[in-house]
Amino acid sequence: MQRLLPATFSVVGTARKPMSHEEYREELHAAVAQHSRTRPLNEEVWRSFAEHLHFVATPDDAGYETLRRTLDQLDFALGTHANRLFYLATPPPAYEPIVKAIAEHRLRGQTGWARIVVEKPFGHDRESARALNEVVHTVFREDEVFRIDHYLGKETVQNILVLRFANGIFEPIWNRQYVDHVQITVAETIGVEERAGYYEQAGAMRDIVQNHLLQLLALVSMEPPAAFDDKAVRDEKVKVMRALRPIAGEDLSTNAVRGQYTRGFIEGVPVPGYREEPGVAPDSRTETYVALKSWVDNWRWEGTPFYLRTGKRLPKHSTEIAIQFRVAPHQLFSREALAGLEPNALVLRIQPDEGISLKFGAKVPVQGIRIRAVNMDFDYGASFMVDAPDAYETLILDALRGDATLFTRHDEVDEQWAFVDPIIKGWGEAPGGPALYEAGTWGPVEADNLIERDGREWRKA
Amino acid sequence: MAQGVVVDTMFWGARQGGVAALERELTRLRRAQSAHARELGRPLARASVLNLIVYADREEHARRAARSIADLALRHPSRAIVVLVDRGAREGVDKRIEMHCRLPIADGARLVCYEQILVRAHGDVEDRLASAVIPLLVPDLPVFLWWTGTPPLGSRSFGDLLRLTDRLVVDSADFARPELTLPIIARISEAARGRFGLTDLNWTRLTPWREIATAFFDVPSWRLFLDGITGLRVGFAVDMDGRDIHPSQALLFVGWLASRLGWRPLETLAPSEAGGLLFAIARPDGARIMVRVRPRFERGLEEGDISGIRIQATSTSELAEFVVKRQPSPRHQTATVLLNGQPRWERTMPLPSPAIVELIGEELSILGSDRTYEAALAALVELA
Repeated sequence: MQRLLPATFSVVGTARKPMSHEEYREELHAAVAQHSRTRPLNEEVWRSFAEHLHFVATPDDAGYETLRRTLDQLDFALGTHANRLFYLATPPPAYEPIVKAIAEHRLRGQTGWARIVVEKPFGHDRESARALNEVVHTVFREDEVFRIDHYLGKETVQNILVLRFANGIFEPIWNRQYVDHVQITVAETIGVEERAGYYEQAGAMRDIVQNHLLQLLALVSMEPPAAFDDKAVRDEKVKVMRALRPIAGEDLSTNAVRGQYTRGFIEGVPVPGYREEPGVAPDSRTETYVALKSWVDNWRWEGTPFYLRTGKRLPKHSTEIAIQFRVAPHQLFSREALAGLEPNALVLRIQPDEGISLKFGAKVPVQGIRIRAVNMDFDYGASFMVDAPDAYETLILDALRGDATLFTRHDEVDEQWAFVDPIIKGWGEAPGGPALYEAGTWGPVEADNLIERDGREWRKA
Repeated sequence: MAQGVVVDTMFWGARQGGVAALERELTRLRRAQSAHARELGRPLARASVLNLIVYADREEHARRAARSIADLALRHPSRAIVVLVDRGAREGVDKRIEMHCRLPIADGARLVCYEQILVRAHGDVEDRLASAVIPLLVPDLPVFLWWTGTPPLGSRSFGDLLRLTDRLVVDSADFARPELTLPIIARISEAARGRFGLTDLNWTRLTPWREIATAFFDVPSWRLFLDGITGLRVGFAVDMDGRDIHPSQALLFVGWLASRLGWRPLETLAPSEAGGLLFAIARPDGARIMVRVRPRFERGLEEGDISGIRIQATSTSELAEFVVKRQPSPRHQTATVLLNGQPRWERTMPLPSPAIVELIGEELSILGSDRTYEAALAALVELA
């Protein structure tokens, strides 16, 4: 709807289930009409777009042959030089057979470029991720592989880099000397919905921590890259991931908490507990909540903990990074005056209500000194007056243009699993299961203990 | 399906389908205001320094609170969450919670706006009320809970909301049975220590009385009388029939003096005439003080407001009386000191009768707990 696509392109949908071109177009029309940012749908524009939509069923080898013929014909008709982007919006087990089929049926085309876009999760542990990499690399070079973590497509996530590296005032204090600790929260109000089959196997650790949370951690803690390109940015992210201290053995019980929601209320509506959800085992030990205290072992962050938490059925849908600064070294004001003062915090709100706020102490307008924490707020929506593009729009367009900066490289995935695997393994071997928390609360009391032990507390996100 | 009272959307704004929709609507409204402000060359800042939850079980109270908050928007820009709950939660009424929102512009000020949200609960929502309020709070800002009416200690929703709260504001003038409720408030205050602050708007109303009483004994030659108080009389206003008795404010005054001067309870002698109280208190040196709290009909006073105080004291051989009387129109206070029955000093000063909006505004500027109030409350509960 914003005329960003090139003049000549076509989209070929494929699935095992047969469908006609018309049915496919209708299905997409309905979806776009319902979900597009620019509603109502301009039917004129849609008609011209729909002409480029095709569908080929690929239940077997014959199907893939038809697909190849269709692609070749379109290339010939449109003159697209066989530039091809393969987008795998399938469950992970299907990746391997599809990649193999792309090779067997020579779908890459003879000329032009070929790229593959893969959704998260990439593997379910370090070993399987490496195996999947090997399969993908038999057909695609690493620079042709675009692993999506849609968080990186979000404007406010990219804005972390802009805030840090385009401004002069933040980076000098972005270190252990000024930062007391960092809190990263990814809170969802939804439960497992219809994804119980997947979620039972994944849990919050694989579903959110391994990808989204660690991405946010990397962006906030990485060293400044020399350039804003795919190599420089991703090199720095990998470097900081390598500096992440593993949580294993004794550390596991002190620095990691897992939880599972029981029945409760979300926005005043009763919701079932996790074990009561359809498709979930009644004695499931899958974690729906994770809280971690982690350390980035490098010069910049020595001694500054990063507290990470994520969960389903938390009271509020919210993703944010809070940089909490150290308190002033010497307090000249009386204890009464300081009652309302809280440490300075810079909060990057990723969603909803995208923006940045800085909390500082201000004098309350009364006689005498009374200090109150106030927020200086930058609201994305009200400042730029436009809706930020959807993360997937950004990412797919980037993939079409061949810009991999916002995609996850194989060594990054590898390091993410290296951090996550020992925790999952430790939990698997530990007696007992996740700590229970009522739906609509901020997680189990064990998570509060994790941070309160250090004399800190979770922010009211 | 049983329908609750229809919400006045002119006042409360349109109904929203859930928190996400409500936040989107507020963003849209902010954006519209922001665009308008830019045209006028005055960029609009989103300002809020606190979350204010108002709990009301009567629409009238909810509206009054909302209007007060609107008047305070310049001093205390806030996100105000007005919770209006059906008191008569009957069986069979659908449990449901609706949300409405509006972005009123404070008079003459385009720079400051506040966000007004109505959470309207139908049926028995004790167990789920907090889950509708928590996601509406602006992160990181202090949370004030203004509970209109009598706080139900032990009720789940009250406990849940208290856990979110940095400062609880009640108004003991609204308590139907203060003699029962004030001890409850004292217990809340004890439990609150270190977790949240607590205050009573009636305590705020008492400020000018405490100031004048303190001023008497700032005079060095009269300070000696402080240790020799023998009697205290506090009058409070009632209506003509003397039906509604609200002695909370007067009792708080007695509690304040007792806690400051180390008085201990001796005995409650009798309810004095028409709803008043008569009791004996022991000074630190053991001497007996007679305290009388009595209702008086005074034209032009709000029920429950203190109408006057009289402190009797001896020192060496002198007998002193410290008297403050409230005069209705124009509002002022007359303070008199009599030594051995002879007037020695008199002064008249203005006595503001602050509206609820002033009182709440004052309380919103304090965040910590008010130790003096807590001590006064504790002493009062022991005495009465």
